[in-house]
Amino acid sequence: MADLALHGLTKTFGKTKVLHGIDLAVQDGEFVVFVGPSGCGKSTTLRIIAGLEDATAGTVEIGGRVVNNLEPKDRDIAMVFQNYALYPHMTVRKNIGFGLRTSRLSRAEKAARIAEVAGVLGMTDLLDRRPSQLSGGQRQRVAIGRAMVRDPKVFLFDEPLSNLDAQLRTQMRLEIKKLHKQVGTTIIFVTHDQVEAMTLADRIVIMKDGVIQQVGTPSEVFNAPANVFVARFIGAPAMNLLPGSWREGGVALDMGGQIALPGRQLADGTRVDLGIRPTDLAISADGAGQITGAITLVEPLGAESMLYIDAGGVEIIAACPGRTAPDPGQQIRLSADPEALHLFDATTGEALR
Amino acid sequence: MGLFHNPTVEQRRTRWAWTFLALPIVFYVVVRFWPTADAFVLSFEKWNLLKPREFVGWKNYVELWNDPVFWKVFRNTFAYLLIGTPISLVLSFFVAWHLDKVRFMHGTIRALYFLPFMTSAVAMAWVWRWFYQPVPIGLFNNLLSSFGFSQIKFLASTTNALPSVLAPAIWAGLGFQIIIFMAGLRAIPGSYYEAARIDGVSGLTVLWEITLPLLKPTIVFIVVFSSIGFLRIFDQVFNMTTNDPGGPLNATKPLVLLIYQTAFASYDMGYAAAQTVVLFLILLAVSLLQLYIMRDRV
Repeated sequence: MADLALHGLTKTFGKTKVLHGIDLAVQDGEFVVFVGPSGCGKSTTLRIIAGLEDATAGTVEIGGRVVNNLEPKDRDIAMVFQNYALYPHMTVRKNIGFGLRTSRLSRAEKAARIAEVAGVLGMTDLLDRRPSQLSGGQRQRVAIGRAMVRDPKVFLFDEPLSNLDAQLRTQMRLEIKKLHKQVGTTIIFVTHDQVEAMTLADRIVIMKDGVIQQVGTPSEVFNAPANVFVARFIGAPAMNLLPGSWREGGVALDMGGQIALPGRQLADGTRVDLGIRPTDLAISADGAGQITGAITLVEPLGAESMLYIDAGGVEIIAACPGRTAPDPGQQIRLSADPEALHLFDATTGEALR
Repeated sequence: MGLFHNPTVEQRRTRWAWTFLALPIVFYVVVRFWPTADAFVLSFEKWNLLKPREFVGWKNYVELWNDPVFWKVFRNTFAYLLIGTPISLVLSFFVAWHLDKVRFMHGTIRALYFLPFMTSAVAMAWVWRWFYQPVPIGLFNNLLSSFGFSQIKFLASTTNALPSVLAPAIWAGLGFQIIIFMAGLRAIPGSYYEAARIDGVSGLTVLWEITLPLLKPTIVFIVVFSSIGFLRIFDQVFNMTTNDPGGPLNATKPLVLLIYQTAFASYDMGYAAAQTVVLFLILLAVSLLQLYIMRDRV
């Protein structure tokens, strides 16, 4: 069915190369999220899949068919745009129906299809309204409806939630996920928000500067990041990176202190970055922790508090339960679970396993 | 909390606003509104600038109604409007639509289209007048005869004169309308077109169902603006038919030129004022009608 495959996709705008060989295979019915900072090439990749941009080199395959030279309409895809691209002068019905303009269905069949989609999205009552009479979330739903009505093999979402306020975004995120469960169509979803990526995706594709950094399930990219970039991009607040050198089965931190990493073998003196997620650091009451520092700032988030700690000139963030948060200025010792430590090559940034 | 002792921020702001507004208001009342009002009064009077004004009731309007020249001029004015507005609208949209897609020398081409709008209408009228002259002077007739066609009497014929005068007027306004259209086109989000591409509709459908409806506010503006321009056409006519302004046989004479001649050749100020009032009412009616037709906002 509709598996999607990208082979060696590159894209050059003038002299700027924005995609450096993207290879990816997406299974039928999979929900794949492209995530990365602005300018990483995720939207460009999506637009190449859609056929709105030409690839400089490489192929796009949809359902086993190379579609590079096909018009967007012939690729069996539908796209939801960031600004929804709803025509303000048309009613919701016409907007949804616009995707059927070129289909060979009869008038009655089209009407039935529109009604069906409106039913699925719970907006049967809104069909005769104009986009300006709808709320942000409703508009978003119309945009999805317009894509659904075409019954495509692949849905493409280009940052569809970034125009919504935080609360609505969470709600629509859930609805999109439910919809995917219900419809089961392959979805490629582009976002810059790692939380969206984590919550929605079957698999996440993390991109930076036109290169895929890692492809994996949310838990894979969170628990076993391939490099420093992925480690710091996924998870909030970002992972702490402590520079040091390998010595005697552990890391001798530059700021002082030795952290043992049992079961790993590296040449003594190798420069490494030790990665510890803020949530994996714990305040050790008995003074047994390997890292010491002074709290400079406490950020209460309710359930937990973020402690900003100055540890020998390196800023470390640690999470602690909100109720027992220490005060700024206090000296504390932190210990880390050896299982939750990540090791990166200091020069290449690649994970050392 | 008096207005002068210890005024609120709101009051103070209002006071400043009125202070700044005072000058233009005075200017407009003295230079615009008062003379306008006076023109209405004058249209019921007889006045040749020298003798005192004398009330004559509806006499000027009755005279106007029975004046065959007025009706000829009335028809001419609407001919300018009804030919000029649609042609300039379609032409300027056509150019803007294509120019919007051109990247090569975009700025230069746009400037070339805008140039006529900045040029003096009088100078342009005289150049076009020269274009229209018979052989061996006129450009157009020279071209025609060099290809073996017979000459055309552009300005000397009662049927050809009006379109010949209208052509440079349309051309002169084109640059402005193109700029406005391009601004309107630029304001349409690109994703509308991309969504349409994915839906696979034809270019014509995109034009009719997306571009034009979304350009409606722009179109309304241009239609109203150019209509008013064509209803007030004067410079081109006056300069291109300078030997017999509005000729031949009143074939090109628009209302404004008639008013000018009544007032400053015949010194019949009351009669000219009546004509002015008629022109004003036409402009008002046409503008309101267009706004009413196009009222359905996006």
